[in-house]
Amino acid sequence: MNIETIQEYLPIILKGFWITVHLFLWSLLFSTVGGFILALMRLSPIATFRWISAVIGWLFRGIPLLLLLFYAFFALPAISRSLMFEPFWAAVLGLSIWTAAYQSEAIRSGIISVEKGQIEASETLGMTKRYYMRRIIIPQSIRIMIPPFIGNAINTMKQTSLAAVITVPEMTLLARQIISEDFKVAEPLLALASIYLLLTTILLMAQQGLERIFRLKV
Amino acid sequence: MASLVSVKGLKKSFGDLEILKGIDLEVQRGEVLSIIGPSGSGKTTILRCLNLLERPTGGQIDIDGQNLCKERSGGEMQFATRSDLRQIRKGIGLVFQQFNLFPHMTALENIIEAPMAVNKVDRSTAVEAARDLLESVGLGKWADHYPLQLSGGQQQRVAIARALAMEPAVMLFDEVTSAVDPELVGEILLVMRQLAEEGMTMLVVTHEMNFAADVSDRVLFMDNGVVVEEGPAAQVLGAPQNARTQGFLRAVRDRAPMDEDQQ
Repeated sequence: MNIETIQEYLPIILKGFWITVHLFLWSLLFSTVGGFILALMRLSPIATFRWISAVIGWLFRGIPLLLLLFYAFFALPAISRSLMFEPFWAAVLGLSIWTAAYQSEAIRSGIISVEKGQIEASETLGMTKRYYMRRIIIPQSIRIMIPPFIGNAINTMKQTSLAAVITVPEMTLLARQIISEDFKVAEPLLALASIYLLLTTILLMAQQGLERIFRLKV
Repeated sequence: MASLVSVKGLKKSFGDLEILKGIDLEVQRGEVLSIIGPSGSGKTTILRCLNLLERPTGGQIDIDGQNLCKERSGGEMQFATRSDLRQIRKGIGLVFQQFNLFPHMTALENIIEAPMAVNKVDRSTAVEAARDLLESVGLGKWADHYPLQLSGGQQQRVAIARALAMEPAVMLFDEVTSAVDPELVGEILLVMRQLAEEGMTMLVVTHEMNFAADVSDRVLFMDNGVVVEEGPAAQVLGAPQNARTQGFLRAVRDRAPMDEDQQ
Protein backbone atom coordinates (compact mmCIF):
# COMPACT_ATOMS: atom_id res chain seq x y z
CA MET A 1 0.00 0.00 0.00
CA ASN A 2 1.36 3.42 -0.78
CA ILE A 3 0.30 7.00 -0.33
CA GLU A 4 0.62 7.89 -3.99
CA THR A 5 -1.92 5.28 -5.03
CA ILE A 6 -4.31 6.68 -2.45
CA GLN A 7 -3.78 10.14 -3.90
CA GLU A 8 -4.54 8.73 -7.29
CA TYR A 9 -7.82 7.13 -6.17
CA LEU A 10 -9.07 9.97 -4.04
CA PRO A 11 -10.30 12.16 -6.95
CA ILE A 12 -12.14 9.24 -8.52
CA ILE A 13 -13.95 8.45 -5.28
CA LEU A 14 -14.64 12.14 -4.71
CA LYS A 15 -16.78 12.09 -7.87
CA GLY A 16 -19.32 10.28 -5.70
CA PHE A 17 -18.85 12.71 -2.83
CA TRP A 18 -21.70 15.04 -3.74
CA ILE A 19 -24.05 12.14 -4.37
CA THR A 20 -23.26 10.85 -0.88
CA VAL A 21 -23.77 14.30 0.59
CA HIS A 22 -27.05 14.78 -1.27
CA LEU A 23 -28.28 11.34 -0.22
CA PHE A 24 -27.52 12.30 3.36
CA LEU A 25 -29.00 15.80 3.31
CA TRP A 26 -32.27 14.76 1.64
CA SER A 27 -32.62 11.84 4.04
CA LEU A 28 -31.84 14.09 6.99
CA LEU A 29 -34.45 16.62 5.88
CA PHE A 30 -37.24 14.09 5.30
CA SER A 31 -36.42 12.04 8.39
CA THR A 32 -36.36 15.12 10.62
CA VAL A 33 -39.78 16.25 9.42
CA GLY A 34 -41.08 12.67 9.52
CA GLY A 35 -39.52 11.97 12.91
CA PHE A 36 -41.03 15.14 14.32
CA ILE A 37 -44.50 14.22 13.07
CA LEU A 38 -44.12 10.67 14.43
CA ALA A 39 -43.00 12.04 17.82
CA LEU A 40 -45.98 14.40 18.07
CA MET A 41 -48.31 11.57 17.03
CA ARG A 42 -46.79 9.37 19.71
CA LEU A 43 -47.52 12.07 22.32
CA SER A 44 -50.99 12.84 20.98
CA PRO A 45 -54.07 12.44 23.18
CA ILE A 46 -55.65 10.61 20.24
CA ALA A 47 -55.05 6.88 20.63
CA THR A 48 -55.14 6.13 16.90
CA PHE A 49 -52.22 8.51 16.27
CA ARG A 50 -50.21 7.01 19.11
CA TRP A 51 -50.87 3.54 17.77
CA ILE A 52 -49.92 4.36 14.16
CA SER A 53 -46.70 6.01 15.31
CA ALA A 54 -45.78 3.10 17.55
CA VAL A 55 -46.34 0.58 14.75
CA ILE A 56 -44.23 2.60 12.29
CA GLY A 57 -41.42 2.84 14.86
CA TRP A 58 -41.60 -0.87 15.60
CA LEU A 59 -41.63 -1.80 11.92
CA PHE A 60 -38.83 0.37 10.56
CA ARG A 61 -36.49 -0.02 13.48
CA GLY A 62 -36.99 -3.75 13.29
CA ILE A 63 -36.10 -4.33 9.62
CA PRO A 64 -32.54 -4.07 8.28
CA LEU A 65 -31.94 -0.95 6.21
CA LEU A 66 -30.50 -3.05 3.39
CA LEU A 67 -33.85 -4.81 3.11
CA LEU A 68 -35.71 -1.49 3.08
CA LEU A 69 -33.51 -0.29 0.22
CA PHE A 70 -34.14 -3.47 -1.77
CA TYR A 71 -37.82 -3.05 -1.10
CA ALA A 72 -37.87 0.58 -2.20
CA PHE A 73 -35.95 -0.15 -5.38
CA PHE A 74 -37.11 -3.61 -6.47
CA ALA A 75 -40.36 -4.42 -4.70
CA LEU A 76 -42.31 -1.16 -4.94
CA PRO A 77 -42.19 -1.04 -8.77
CA ALA A 78 -43.45 -4.63 -8.78
CA ILE A 79 -46.50 -3.49 -6.80
CA SER A 80 -47.26 -0.57 -9.06
CA ARG A 81 -45.39 1.02 -11.93
CA SER A 82 -46.12 4.45 -10.43
CA LEU A 83 -43.88 3.47 -7.50
CA MET A 84 -40.81 3.14 -9.70
CA PHE A 85 -38.12 5.51 -8.50
CA GLU A 86 -34.69 6.35 -9.77
CA PRO A 87 -32.03 4.59 -7.66
CA PHE A 88 -31.13 7.86 -5.92
CA TRP A 89 -34.69 8.59 -4.78
CA ALA A 90 -35.36 4.99 -3.86
CA ALA A 91 -32.31 5.22 -1.57
CA VAL A 92 -33.54 8.52 -0.11
CA LEU A 93 -36.93 6.93 0.54
CA GLY A 94 -35.47 3.94 2.37
CA LEU A 95 -32.96 6.01 4.36
CA SER A 96 -35.58 8.61 5.30
CA ILE A 97 -38.13 6.16 6.65
CA TRP A 98 -35.49 4.19 8.51
CA THR A 99 -33.96 7.33 10.05
CA ALA A 100 -37.34 8.90 10.85
CA ALA A 101 -38.19 5.90 13.02
CA TYR A 102 -35.05 6.57 15.07
CA GLN A 103 -35.33 10.37 15.09
CA SER A 104 -38.89 10.18 16.39
CA GLU A 105 -37.54 8.52 19.53
CA ALA A 106 -34.80 11.13 19.95
CA ILE A 107 -37.32 13.95 19.50
CA ARG A 108 -39.95 12.36 21.73
CA SER A 109 -37.49 11.74 24.56
CA GLY A 110 -36.43 15.41 24.35
CA ILE A 111 -40.02 16.62 24.60
CA ILE A 112 -41.02 14.40 27.52
CA SER A 113 -37.92 15.30 29.50
CA VAL A 114 -38.98 18.95 29.84
CA GLU A 115 -40.19 19.44 33.39
CA LYS A 116 -43.91 19.13 34.05
CA GLY A 117 -43.82 22.46 35.90
CA GLN A 118 -43.19 24.22 32.57
CA ILE A 119 -46.51 22.95 31.21
CA GLU A 120 -48.28 23.86 34.45
CA ALA A 121 -46.86 27.38 34.40
CA SER A 122 -47.94 27.79 30.76
CA GLU A 123 -51.44 26.49 31.40
CA THR A 124 -51.80 28.65 34.47
CA LEU A 125 -51.01 31.71 32.34
CA GLY A 126 -53.81 30.76 29.95
CA MET A 127 -51.70 29.59 27.00
CA THR A 128 -53.13 27.05 24.58
CA LYS A 129 -51.37 23.71 24.21
CA ARG A 130 -50.41 24.49 20.63
CA TYR A 131 -48.87 27.77 21.76
CA TYR A 132 -46.86 26.49 24.71
CA MET A 133 -45.62 23.46 22.79
CA ARG A 134 -44.20 25.82 20.17
CA ARG A 135 -42.83 28.53 22.46
CA ILE A 136 -42.04 26.85 25.76
CA ILE A 137 -41.70 23.08 25.51
CA ILE A 138 -40.14 22.37 22.10
CA PRO A 139 -37.45 25.10 22.33
CA GLN A 140 -36.33 23.60 25.65
CA SER A 141 -36.46 20.05 24.32
CA ILE A 142 -34.10 20.82 21.42
CA ARG A 143 -31.15 21.19 23.79
CA ILE A 144 -31.86 17.73 25.18
CA MET A 145 -32.41 16.03 21.84
CA ILE A 146 -29.22 17.31 20.12
CA PRO A 147 -26.88 14.43 21.12
CA PRO A 148 -29.18 11.52 20.17
CA PHE A 149 -30.33 13.41 17.07
CA ILE A 150 -26.79 13.91 15.78
CA GLY A 151 -25.96 10.33 16.74
CA ASN A 152 -28.75 9.14 14.45
CA ALA A 153 -27.63 11.55 11.72
CA ILE A 154 -24.09 10.15 11.85
CA ASN A 155 -25.48 6.66 11.50
CA THR A 156 -27.50 7.70 8.46
CA MET A 157 -24.48 9.40 6.94
CA LYS A 158 -22.53 6.15 7.12
CA GLN A 159 -25.47 4.04 5.95
CA THR A 160 -25.72 6.01 2.70
CA SER A 161 -22.94 3.59 1.63
CA LEU A 162 -25.61 0.88 1.38
CA ALA A 163 -27.13 2.77 -1.54
CA ALA A 164 -24.33 1.23 -3.59
CA VAL A 165 -26.23 -2.05 -3.69
CA ILE A 166 -29.11 -0.42 -5.54
CA THR A 167 -26.72 1.13 -8.07
CA VAL A 168 -26.52 4.67 -6.74
CA PRO A 169 -23.09 5.92 -7.91
CA GLU A 170 -22.05 7.25 -4.52
CA MET A 171 -18.56 6.92 -3.05
CA THR A 172 -18.74 3.31 -1.94
CA LEU A 173 -19.90 2.15 -5.37
CA LEU A 174 -17.00 4.00 -7.02
CA ALA A 175 -14.53 2.48 -4.57
CA ARG A 176 -15.87 -0.98 -5.36
CA GLN A 177 -15.45 -0.31 -9.07
CA ILE A 178 -11.81 0.57 -8.51
CA ILE A 179 -11.34 -2.63 -6.53
CA SER A 180 -12.82 -4.79 -9.30
CA GLU A 181 -10.94 -2.99 -12.07
CA ASP A 182 -7.51 -2.51 -10.49
CA PHE A 183 -7.49 -5.41 -8.03
CA LYS A 184 -6.34 -2.96 -5.37
CA VAL A 185 -8.22 -3.17 -2.09
CA ALA A 186 -6.46 -1.38 0.74
CA GLU A 187 -5.84 1.94 -1.00
CA PRO A 188 -9.35 2.70 -2.30
CA LEU A 189 -10.92 1.56 0.97
CA LEU A 190 -8.58 3.77 2.99
CA ALA A 191 -9.39 6.75 0.78
CA LEU A 192 -13.09 5.98 1.17
CA ALA A 193 -12.85 5.63 4.95
CA SER A 194 -11.02 8.93 5.28
CA ILE A 195 -13.81 10.78 3.47
CA TYR A 196 -16.52 9.25 5.66
CA LEU A 197 -14.45 10.12 8.69
CA LEU A 198 -14.20 13.70 7.51
CA LEU A 199 -17.97 13.91 7.05
CA THR A 200 -18.79 12.43 10.45
CA THR A 201 -16.25 14.75 12.04
CA ILE A 202 -18.11 17.70 10.55
CA LEU A 203 -21.33 16.37 12.09
CA LEU A 204 -19.70 16.04 15.49
CA MET A 205 -18.50 19.63 15.21
CA ALA A 206 -22.04 20.65 14.29
CA GLN A 207 -23.20 18.95 17.47
CA GLN A 208 -20.79 20.99 19.57
CA GLY A 209 -21.93 24.18 17.85
CA LEU A 210 -25.59 23.37 18.37
CA GLU A 211 -25.02 22.50 22.01
CA ARG A 212 -23.33 25.85 22.49
CA ILE A 213 -26.19 27.72 20.81
CA PHE A 214 -28.88 25.99 22.86
CA ARG A 215 -27.00 25.96 26.16
CA LEU A 216 -28.96 27.57 28.98
CA LYS A 217 -27.44 30.87 30.02
CA VAL A 218 -25.97 30.42 33.48
CA MET B 1 -71.29 41.10 48.02
CA ALA B 2 -70.43 37.69 46.67
CA SER B 3 -67.07 36.22 47.54
CA LEU B 4 -64.31 36.43 44.94
CA VAL B 5 -63.32 32.84 45.64
CA SER B 6 -65.98 30.41 46.75
CA VAL B 7 -65.27 26.76 47.47
CA LYS B 8 -67.96 24.38 48.65
CA GLY B 9 -67.48 20.78 49.74
CA LEU B 10 -64.25 20.40 47.76
CA LYS B 11 -63.05 16.80 47.60
CA LYS B 12 -60.01 15.31 45.93
CA SER B 13 -58.85 11.72 45.93
CA PHE B 14 -55.82 10.16 44.29
CA GLY B 15 -56.93 6.57 43.82
CA ASP B 16 -58.06 5.35 47.22
CA LEU B 17 -56.28 8.16 49.02
CA GLU B 18 -58.60 11.00 49.96
CA ILE B 19 -56.54 14.20 50.23
CA LEU B 20 -59.38 16.70 50.60
CA LYS B 21 -62.44 15.59 52.48
CA GLY B 22 -64.90 18.40 51.86
CA ILE B 23 -63.39 21.87 52.12
CA ASP B 24 -65.44 25.05 52.36
CA LEU B 25 -63.77 28.39 52.02
CA GLU B 26 -64.61 31.91 50.95
CA VAL B 27 -62.26 34.75 50.11
CA GLN B 28 -63.59 38.28 49.78
CA ARG B 29 -62.18 40.81 47.35
CA GLY B 30 -59.04 42.40 48.82
CA GLU B 31 -58.73 39.80 51.52
CA VAL B 32 -55.58 37.83 52.35
CA LEU B 33 -56.19 34.27 53.50
CA SER B 34 -53.32 32.12 54.75
CA ILE B 35 -53.63 28.36 54.81
CA ILE B 36 -51.40 26.61 57.31
CA GLY B 37 -51.07 23.03 58.43
CA PRO B 38 -48.72 20.06 58.52
CA SER B 39 -47.20 18.50 55.40
CA GLY B 40 -49.65 16.26 53.62
CA SER B 41 -52.68 18.04 55.04
CA GLY B 42 -53.86 19.00 51.56
CA LYS B 43 -52.96 22.72 51.50
CA THR B 44 -51.19 22.63 48.16
CA THR B 45 -53.88 20.43 46.66
CA ILE B 46 -56.48 23.12 47.41
CA LEU B 47 -54.50 25.72 45.46
CA ARG B 48 -53.95 23.32 42.56
CA CYS B 49 -57.67 22.56 42.48
CA LEU B 50 -58.47 26.28 42.35
CA ASN B 51 -57.25 26.49 38.75
CA LEU B 52 -57.88 22.85 37.91
CA LEU B 53 -54.25 21.77 37.74
CA GLU B 54 -55.82 18.97 39.78
CA ARG B 55 -59.37 17.97 38.95
CA PRO B 56 -61.53 17.79 42.08
CA THR B 57 -63.52 14.61 42.69
CA GLY B 58 -66.31 16.46 44.46
CA GLY B 59 -67.65 19.90 45.33
CA GLN B 60 -67.95 23.25 43.62
CA ILE B 61 -65.51 26.09 42.89
CA ASP B 62 -66.42 29.57 41.67
CA ILE B 63 -63.91 32.35 41.13
CA ASP B 64 -64.89 35.89 40.21
CA GLY B 65 -68.38 34.73 39.30
CA GLN B 66 -67.17 31.99 36.97
CA ASN B 67 -67.76 28.32 37.66
CA LEU B 68 -64.72 26.02 37.45
CA CYS B 69 -66.44 22.85 38.52
CA LYS B 70 -69.59 21.61 40.16
CA GLU B 71 -71.17 18.37 41.11
CA ARG B 72 -74.15 17.27 39.06
CA SER B 73 -77.11 15.77 40.90
CA GLY B 74 -75.80 12.26 40.23
CA GLY B 75 -72.48 13.15 41.91
CA GLU B 76 -70.70 13.32 38.56
CA MET B 77 -68.29 16.26 38.19
CA GLN B 78 -68.80 18.92 35.55
CA PHE B 79 -65.76 21.03 34.65
CA ALA B 80 -65.34 24.29 32.77
CA THR B 81 -64.66 23.68 29.07
CA ARG B 82 -61.09 24.02 27.91
CA SER B 83 -61.61 27.48 26.41
CA ASP B 84 -63.62 28.70 29.44
CA LEU B 85 -60.87 27.37 31.67
CA ARG B 86 -58.20 29.34 29.79
CA GLN B 87 -60.36 32.42 30.21
CA ILE B 88 -60.79 31.81 33.95
CA ARG B 89 -57.11 31.03 34.48
CA LYS B 90 -56.14 34.46 33.12
CA GLY B 91 -57.75 35.90 36.24
CA ILE B 92 -55.89 33.61 38.65
CA GLY B 93 -52.18 34.14 39.25
CA LEU B 94 -50.34 31.11 40.60
CA VAL B 95 -46.84 31.24 42.03
CA PHE B 96 -45.16 27.85 42.42
CA GLN B 97 -42.82 26.56 45.07
CA GLN B 98 -40.29 25.70 42.33
CA PHE B 99 -40.72 29.04 40.43
CA ASN B 100 -41.21 27.28 37.06
CA LEU B 101 -39.76 30.20 35.13
CA PHE B 102 -39.04 29.53 31.47
CA PRO B 103 -35.25 28.95 31.54
CA HIS B 104 -34.69 29.80 27.86
CA MET B 105 -36.11 33.30 28.27
CA THR B 106 -34.83 36.36 30.12
CA ALA B 107 -36.69 37.74 33.13
CA LEU B 108 -38.37 40.31 30.89
CA GLU B 109 -39.29 37.74 28.23
CA ASN B 110 -40.77 35.50 30.91
CA ILE B 111 -43.07 38.33 31.94
CA ILE B 112 -44.20 39.59 28.53
CA GLU B 113 -44.82 36.15 26.98
CA ALA B 114 -48.32 35.51 28.33
CA PRO B 115 -49.71 39.07 28.06
CA MET B 116 -48.64 39.14 24.40
CA ALA B 117 -49.82 35.61 23.58
CA VAL B 118 -52.98 35.39 25.65
CA ASN B 119 -54.14 38.97 26.15
CA LYS B 120 -52.90 40.13 22.73
CA VAL B 121 -51.08 43.10 24.25
CA ASP B 122 -48.63 44.66 21.79
CA ARG B 123 -44.97 44.21 22.51
CA SER B 124 -44.05 47.75 23.53
CA THR B 125 -46.96 48.00 25.98
CA ALA B 126 -46.08 44.59 27.43
CA VAL B 127 -42.43 45.53 27.81
CA GLU B 128 -43.30 48.79 29.51
CA ALA B 129 -45.63 47.04 31.96
CA ALA B 130 -43.04 44.31 32.59
CA ARG B 131 -40.34 46.89 33.39
CA ASP B 132 -42.66 48.55 35.88
CA LEU B 133 -43.41 45.18 37.47
CA LEU B 134 -39.72 44.27 37.69
CA GLU B 135 -39.09 47.65 39.28
CA SER B 136 -41.84 47.03 41.82
CA VAL B 137 -40.35 43.67 42.86
CA GLY B 138 -36.92 45.29 43.14
CA LEU B 139 -35.43 43.74 40.01
CA GLY B 140 -35.35 46.67 37.61
CA LYS B 141 -31.72 46.03 36.74
CA TRP B 142 -32.19 42.31 36.12
CA ALA B 143 -34.57 42.40 33.14
CA ASP B 144 -32.11 40.86 30.69
CA HIS B 145 -30.83 38.10 32.94
CA TYR B 146 -31.80 34.48 32.46
CA PRO B 147 -33.44 32.61 35.36
CA LEU B 148 -30.38 30.48 36.07
CA GLN B 149 -28.34 33.66 36.46
CA LEU B 150 -30.60 34.76 39.32
CA SER B 151 -30.80 33.66 42.95
CA GLY B 152 -33.81 31.70 44.17
CA GLY B 153 -35.23 34.80 45.79
CA GLN B 154 -34.86 36.79 42.59
CA GLN B 155 -36.34 34.01 40.47
CA GLN B 156 -39.36 33.82 42.71
CA ARG B 157 -39.88 37.58 42.48
CA VAL B 158 -39.75 37.33 38.68
CA ALA B 159 -42.33 34.54 38.93
CA ILE B 160 -44.58 36.82 41.00
CA ALA B 161 -44.15 39.59 38.43
CA ARG B 162 -44.95 37.14 35.63
CA ALA B 163 -48.22 36.18 37.33
CA LEU B 164 -49.08 39.83 38.03
CA ALA B 165 -48.54 40.77 34.38
CA MET B 166 -51.80 39.00 33.55
CA GLU B 167 -53.58 41.41 35.93
CA PRO B 168 -55.25 38.62 37.87
CA ALA B 169 -58.15 39.16 40.25
CA VAL B 170 -56.63 36.80 42.78
CA MET B 171 -53.09 35.54 43.47
CA LEU B 172 -52.36 32.05 44.77
CA PHE B 173 -49.04 31.43 46.49
CA ASP B 174 -47.97 27.82 46.95
CA GLU B 175 -45.24 27.63 49.60
CA VAL B 176 -43.30 30.17 47.59
CA THR B 177 -40.48 30.56 50.10
CA SER B 178 -39.86 26.87 50.72
CA ALA B 179 -37.33 26.33 47.91
CA VAL B 180 -35.11 29.35 48.58
CA ASP B 181 -32.23 29.88 50.97
CA PRO B 182 -33.35 31.17 54.38
CA GLU B 183 -31.65 34.55 53.95
CA LEU B 184 -33.63 35.18 50.75
CA VAL B 185 -37.07 34.47 52.21
CA GLY B 186 -37.45 38.03 53.43
CA GLU B 187 -37.22 39.67 50.01
CA ILE B 188 -40.05 37.49 48.70
CA LEU B 189 -42.25 38.13 51.72
CA LEU B 190 -41.61 41.86 51.34
CA VAL B 191 -43.02 41.79 47.81
CA MET B 192 -46.05 39.83 48.99
CA ARG B 193 -46.64 42.20 51.85
CA GLN B 194 -46.51 45.13 49.42
CA LEU B 195 -49.04 43.36 47.22
CA ALA B 196 -51.38 42.79 50.15
CA GLU B 197 -51.18 46.45 51.09
CA GLU B 198 -52.11 47.39 47.55
CA GLY B 199 -55.32 45.45 48.06
CA MET B 200 -54.61 42.28 46.08
CA THR B 201 -56.78 39.30 46.94
CA MET B 202 -54.41 36.55 48.03
CA LEU B 203 -54.52 32.90 49.06
CA VAL B 204 -51.25 31.96 50.66
CA VAL B 205 -50.17 28.45 51.57
CA THR B 206 -47.25 29.02 53.89
CA HIS B 207 -45.03 27.83 56.67
CA GLU B 208 -44.07 31.38 57.56
CA MET B 209 -46.12 31.93 60.71
CA ASN B 210 -44.91 35.48 61.24
CA PHE B 211 -45.97 36.39 57.73
CA ALA B 212 -49.34 34.72 58.24
CA ALA B 213 -49.78 36.64 61.50
CA ASP B 214 -48.73 40.04 60.14
CA VAL B 215 -50.21 40.11 56.68
CA SER B 216 -53.27 37.88 56.53
CA ASP B 217 -56.77 38.93 57.43
CA ARG B 218 -57.77 35.37 58.12
CA VAL B 219 -55.96 32.11 58.75
CA LEU B 220 -57.21 28.65 58.02
CA PHE B 221 -55.65 25.64 59.72
CA MET B 222 -55.92 22.32 57.92
CA ASP B 223 -55.11 18.83 58.97
CA ASN B 224 -55.80 15.53 57.28
CA GLY B 225 -57.89 16.97 54.48
CA VAL B 226 -60.31 18.99 56.59
CA VAL B 227 -60.44 22.58 57.85
CA VAL B 228 -59.84 22.29 61.57
CA GLU B 229 -59.99 25.93 62.54
CA GLU B 230 -60.56 29.20 60.76
CA GLY B 231 -60.77 32.80 61.85
CA PRO B 232 -58.99 36.15 62.14
CA ALA B 233 -55.21 35.72 62.08
CA ALA B 234 -54.72 36.95 65.63
CA GLN B 235 -57.28 34.51 66.94
CA VAL B 236 -56.15 31.35 65.11
CA LEU B 237 -52.45 31.99 65.64
CA GLY B 238 -52.65 33.79 68.99
CA ALA B 239 -55.40 31.95 70.81
CA PRO B 240 -56.22 28.74 68.94
CA GLN B 241 -59.28 26.89 70.21
CA ASN B 242 -58.65 23.48 68.72
CA ALA B 243 -56.17 21.09 70.30
CA ARG B 244 -54.70 20.11 66.92
CA THR B 245 -54.07 23.75 66.01
CA GLN B 246 -52.42 24.31 69.36
CA GLY B 247 -50.24 21.25 68.87
CA PHE B 248 -49.20 22.30 65.37
CA LEU B 249 -48.31 25.85 66.39
CA ARG B 250 -46.35 24.60 69.37
CA ALA B 251 -44.41 22.20 67.12
CA VAL B 252 -43.64 24.99 64.64
CA ARG B 253 -42.43 27.36 67.36
CA ASP B 254 -40.29 24.72 69.03
CA ARG B 255 -38.90 23.25 65.85
CA ALA B 256 -35.22 22.63 65.66
CA PRO B 257 -33.52 24.80 62.99
CA MET B 258 -32.90 21.63 60.99
CA ASP B 259 -36.59 21.12 60.30
CA GLU B 260 -36.73 24.26 58.23
CA ASP B 261 -35.26 22.50 55.21
CA GLN B 262 -37.71 19.67 55.36
CA GLN B 263 -40.72 21.93 55.47
